[in-house]
Amino acid sequence: MVTTDLAAPKAAAPQTRRRTHRAERLLAVAFLAPTVIGMALFVLLPIVASLLLAFFRWDIITSPEFVGFDNFVDIGADPTVRVAFINTILFVVIAVTLQLAVALGLAVLLETKMPRLLASFFRSAFFFPLILSAASVSLVASYLFNQDFGLVNVILGWVGLPNVPWLTSSAGAVTVVIAVYVWQNFGFSFLLFVGGLANVPREVYEAASMDGASGWHRFTRVTLPMISPTILVASVMAIISALQIFDQPYVLTRGGPGDSTRTAVMVIFQSAFRELEFGKASAIGIVLTLIIIGATYAQFRLSRRFVFYQ
Amino acid sequence: MADLSRRGLLALAGLGAVGTAFSWDRLIAKDIPGRDTDALTVVILGTAQDAAARKNLVDAFRGKNPDIKVRVQGIQGTDWSDYFAKILTLVAAGTAPDVVLVATEGAQLFADRLAHPLDEYVVRDQAEIQEYFDDVHPALIEAFMYQGSLFQVPIDFNAANIYYNTKAWERAGLARPADDWTVDDFLDASRRMARSAKGSFRPFYWTNRLWGGVVPWLYANDTSFLTESKAGGGSWLWDKFYPDDPSSASRGGGFQWLEPNAEDPRVAETFEMLRAMVADGLASSPAQGGGNELVGRFADGQIGMTPAGGFWVDGLAAGGMKPGDYDVQFFPRGRVQRHQFGAAGYAILKTSQRKDEAWEWIKFCCSREGMQMSIPIPNTTPTRRSMVNATFYEGKGPEHWKVFYDTLDRFPTTAPIPAPPQQAAVETALIKNVVGILTGSAGNVRRGLSGMQRDLELALKEK
Repeated sequence: MVTTDLAAPKAAAPQTRRRTHRAERLLAVAFLAPTVIGMALFVLLPIVASLLLAFFRWDIITSPEFVGFDNFVDIGADPTVRVAFINTILFVVIAVTLQLAVALGLAVLLETKMPRLLASFFRSAFFFPLILSAASVSLVASYLFNQDFGLVNVILGWVGLPNVPWLTSSAGAVTVVIAVYVWQNFGFSFLLFVGGLANVPREVYEAASMDGASGWHRFTRVTLPMISPTILVASVMAIISALQIFDQPYVLTRGGPGDSTRTAVMVIFQSAFRELEFGKASAIGIVLTLIIIGATYAQFRLSRRFVFYQ
Repeated sequence: MADLSRRGLLALAGLGAVGTAFSWDRLIAKDIPGRDTDALTVVILGTAQDAAARKNLVDAFRGKNPDIKVRVQGIQGTDWSDYFAKILTLVAAGTAPDVVLVATEGAQLFADRLAHPLDEYVVRDQAEIQEYFDDVHPALIEAFMYQGSLFQVPIDFNAANIYYNTKAWERAGLARPADDWTVDDFLDASRRMARSAKGSFRPFYWTNRLWGGVVPWLYANDTSFLTESKAGGGSWLWDKFYPDDPSSASRGGGFQWLEPNAEDPRVAETFEMLRAMVADGLASSPAQGGGNELVGRFADGQIGMTPAGGFWVDGLAAGGMKPGDYDVQFFPRGRVQRHQFGAAGYAILKTSQRKDEAWEWIKFCCSREGMQMSIPIPNTTPTRRSMVNATFYEGKGPEHWKVFYDTLDRFPTTAPIPAPPQQAAVETALIKNVVGILTGSAGNVRRGLSGMQRDLELALKEK
């Protein structure tokens, strides 16, 4: 009897714990299920479908036909796709460099030289373009840079400069696409840098000043190392975003003149929604994804040498 | 946080199941407009407002066919290619419409893959529909024949005529050009307009990068960027519907564009002339043409000439131009005075379960009553010759509105824009190369055309 009486509460405790544990697990499942199901249906499934589609020829009307690696061979042999990837990489190098340089320069300027009220105004003003639709911005830019009637050429004419074929020459078109992209996107990097600069301890600057460091030296020897983790994050995000550029060249130039502003995502769109080659479009998408993963991995590897964590 | 009991979880799951049951139609997209409906679904290029504007047409049709419900759906697109891609997506999604408005740009794409031939219907109802063919130029019909069969009945068309701003023309001391004016006359007029104008005036502006772009100039020089031939067959239609038409003998079973022709010396000659026009400031770059902006510039007097069809009349009136402020003339003569046109008509999809009802819709839309309701204002040119009249253009149109239909009657070799089934890839190849060639150096023309030839070869290889 005694044994039984004593044993009962001992047996009940683990059972209660198990029940509680199971209830917690059920609760977790209930809360996670909508997100997991949503992700599986709308993210994972399309990714898997896209991976599979790359090995098929499919025009959405007739049944898919298995073609093995033919789509990858096709895109390797397609000069337009090659040019689009080269353009994209060149664009990333130039646009991201400019974007980070402008954003960092303005962030430093605002944090060090600007009165607080004015700095607050510019912080909002620089972020503002980011909330606009890229297509709308590009449409306005296409009017501004119109060779015959655009405001930019009108202003150039006032100061005696010749009419520039902004959107109809290769150099002009690339310049405009980069300028519009950087103008619209530097605000995000700028905000990251403002946050990074706010975290640099004032004492470090004071110590550097007492040691006789000039403004330039404080920037290169204190600011840059101290915000290097922010620079890493900003550059990773800027590169991933720039590799996917589509709206600006599509609206401004449709990839022209020739192929001079054609980008990787543009050829994905062209293949899928104009030429109905969904297999080829998926194959290009996979190559672009691999490039993005490779670039991000390389950045994190390099960061071990250049990024300073406090 | 409270723990979730098994009972609680079951209750939540039950709620979820009830919610799922209530939203089942939404989840399986059964409530998408057009799916599982018993109405004849007609798709047009345009907005929901454009579709709603056809209510009178639908009501009149239902007055004659009370058993056929009709639902007109507007599909928006930046151009015809964009619209065609969206139609194909509808087909893939299982919401294929029954009837689709298709322009010449997509006629062979649809005929090759999606559309049902109309041969048996037009033959069966010849007595009823013959008056339509009597009123419509055969070139417009031929544009919708593919491999010997008729796939669409055209409702409207637009040929590339030259619109000119009379103020700019008079300022340069120019009289109205003769009907058979030449490309040299055109260039001379352009130079005189440029000399007499100030500011950002352009003597010539492009309508868009394809229609009204380089093709009319190539046609005027008796060439094209693709080789052109005629498919066999088609005599069943010409013998039956156009027995007395002298041009019937030269017509066939539809146009074929099978090979690239960009390296033809006449193509190079044309591109060199156009490149020089751009370089000399007589013409804008073709990348800049198009849309409402062009209407505004023309109405403001900043543009001297542009190629356009009857579709421009209403837009210019809306832009404030009076009938005397502008006029139209035929495209200038090069080696020949062949014009380019585009047309549109309804096609029945192969997948439609309501083909007979769809044919009734097409027949009604090409009847005089249906066409008058479809085209109440001059924002395009009706295919019926008898409808292109003074009343139609009253208060809005140019003095020489007859040019619009005379383009077909006086130049019977006038042809549609080249658009094989691989139209999207061909259009991309053309647009991609044209701007580069026309804005580049003289030495780049032949090299650019070789690049276009390669791109067109790749485009035409596509299935």
